[in-house]
Amino acid sequence: MAATSMAAALAASLPVPSATAAAPAPTYEAIPASMAKVIDIEADIPLASVQLDALVVTKIIKHAREAPSSTAHGLLLGLDLDGILEVSNSFPLPQHVGDEDDKSSKSSARHQASMLRSLKEVQADDSVIGFYQATTLGAFFNQALVDTQAIHQDKLRHGGIVIVHDLSQTARGNASFHAYRLTAAFLDAYKKTNFSTTSLMSHRLTFSSILEEVPLKIRTNPLLSAFLGQLAEPSKDSPSSATIGGSPTSGLGPSFSVLDLGTGGVTRNLEQIVEAVDNYRTEEGNLSYMSRQIARERAKAENYVAKRKEENAGRVAQGLAPLPEEDVSRLFKIPAEPSRLESLLLLGQIDAYGKSLAGSASMGLVKMYAANSGSDV
Amino acid sequence: MPLGPKSSAINISGTTVTDSSPNVPRTPTNITIHPVALFSILDHYLRRTDAQDRVIGTLLGTRHDNEVEVRSSFAVLHSETDEQVAVDMDYHRTMYELHHKVNPKEVIVGWYSTGSNLNTYSALIQNFYSQETGPHQAIHVSINTGVEEGQEAGVRAYISSPVGINPKPENCVFVPVPVELRFHDAERSGLDLLVNTASEPTSTSSQPVADLEIIERAILSVSDMLDRVLTYVRAVLSGEKKGDPAIGRYLMDTLGASTDDLEKGGFNTSLQDTLMISYLANLVRAQAEVSSRLALTVAS
Repeated sequence: MAATSMAAALAASLPVPSATAAAPAPTYEAIPASMAKVIDIEADIPLASVQLDALVVTKIIKHAREAPSSTAHGLLLGLDLDGILEVSNSFPLPQHVGDEDDKSSKSSARHQASMLRSLKEVQADDSVIGFYQATTLGAFFNQALVDTQAIHQDKLRHGGIVIVHDLSQTARGNASFHAYRLTAAFLDAYKKTNFSTTSLMSHRLTFSSILEEVPLKIRTNPLLSAFLGQLAEPSKDSPSSATIGGSPTSGLGPSFSVLDLGTGGVTRNLEQIVEAVDNYRTEEGNLSYMSRQIARERAKAENYVAKRKEENAGRVAQGLAPLPEEDVSRLFKIPAEPSRLESLLLLGQIDAYGKSLAGSASMGLVKMYAANSGSDV
Repeated sequence: MPLGPKSSAINISGTTVTDSSPNVPRTPTNITIHPVALFSILDHYLRRTDAQDRVIGTLLGTRHDNEVEVRSSFAVLHSETDEQVAVDMDYHRTMYELHHKVNPKEVIVGWYSTGSNLNTYSALIQNFYSQETGPHQAIHVSINTGVEEGQEAGVRAYISSPVGINPKPENCVFVPVPVELRFHDAERSGLDLLVNTASEPTSTSSQPVADLEIIERAILSVSDMLDRVLTYVRAVLSGEKKGDPAIGRYLMDTLGASTDDLEKGGFNTSLQDTLMISYLANLVRAQAEVSSRLALTVAS
């Protein structure tokens, strides 16, 4: 392998600054001037951010916690306005039962349709804008997510988004939501169902360039803000705050789960890293086996062609008619180059697990020093 | 935690201990509500049509002994006029089946309405839901959204009992039952996030929040509490305030917690462990990154 070509390839794979220049401002005629900027019928205004309603936040958290496996998923409903995708409602989808794939996807589609119809009747938003997926320890890359999102990005207005909720981080005291969509490069490769090395190179795909993150905001509507304010208001008859004085504490009571020094999750996280690395090793083994096979078949074919040429040269020299050059591809079946998508996704998982482990380790350091300095005094 | 203003109602709990036969459904004496149900109701109220004065819907949840836990809710179509009240039962059935498919544990436990007035129609709807929840009693949760002037936002829960010599569906007494908000500990951070969001002037907050920021907030609040306690203790010591034994007890229990295992050797060992894990995690990430780049080269 030439050193220069490798360096060039590495340089090529570095993430390029996302140069998705804003589309030129669209022009409208029929819509009044005041609204012309914010309403786009053709979905021309690119999505700048996602806005998540408080209702959706609680719904996702509840569903993610209660679902038997860590693969809780559901649909997001809402509207887009002036580049902000407002997610105003969501509903969970039934769990897929391993077998009977066709049947379950059909019943899931029926479930969706009738839920949407029902929601429309009570004036709720009924346009699907994406889906959500619960995850633990940050690893959410999998085939199903990519497949679903690829379908959505094809069908839905603005391509739809996927909101990923990390259950383990929420349990640690930091409710986390991320919005993602597939990058154009990945989508292009996905549509051609071509994940060979050359295709990955031409698309500059690594695991970090499969998805791009969209900024996410949380919003509470005024009614809910008022109600939450009422809930969080201190109760007047709590004895301690009256006696001790000072500003009364919130009626919700403080929660310090974030200060928990416990490192119970770390073991599981490590186990999962090891598991992911094992999976990756297996996948790599498969890939290299297949590429060896390809190389062997190719060498055989080339040998055959060379032999035939030599023979022909001999025959021409003897003044005989050369043998016809046969189609080599019919004689030797060279297998197609294996898809590297699976190994790409596995690498993404390893990276995500590593990231979450690094995060919890650094948080642990901070908490340990805090506790230590506290106990010194 | 309590929801809404305190009521002066006496909560009568039946003869629960002597309930001998297990087949007789018990009267609910305590009702808890999950935030999801509450927020869905508020959202439904926001989306009502102009003609609607109040909205109603079905409550789903689970029952344990004397406690009803409301886990989620969905809106139901209904219309009220001076002459009649109509609830779309087909709609209610469809929605229930859809919810049931996703979460089979949750069953119909009662119904909600917004506004705090109970009238004949409430009794009729209650009668309808009693048939749905039978043999258990249906509960009714009424939510005052607090949008009308002079009314405080809050939640009340009721069970019904027939009244009169000849019980009629439109006559019933709504007996108040204590109600409180309940959620799982793991969901707490979500609620915190929403409370923080609601207190922002724009009612929006951006994600993700850095872990450090949350830790800082928690530590600041702890240090604030310590300051308050310190001022109180100093005031008691100097004789300005009379000490409260109950508070003293709490303080001793709280501050008596030891950090022994962190001291001396313990600290250093776990420091090394944590640093090792941090190193390992970064190593794994670096390897993954290199590996993904290497996959882009052609072995030729």
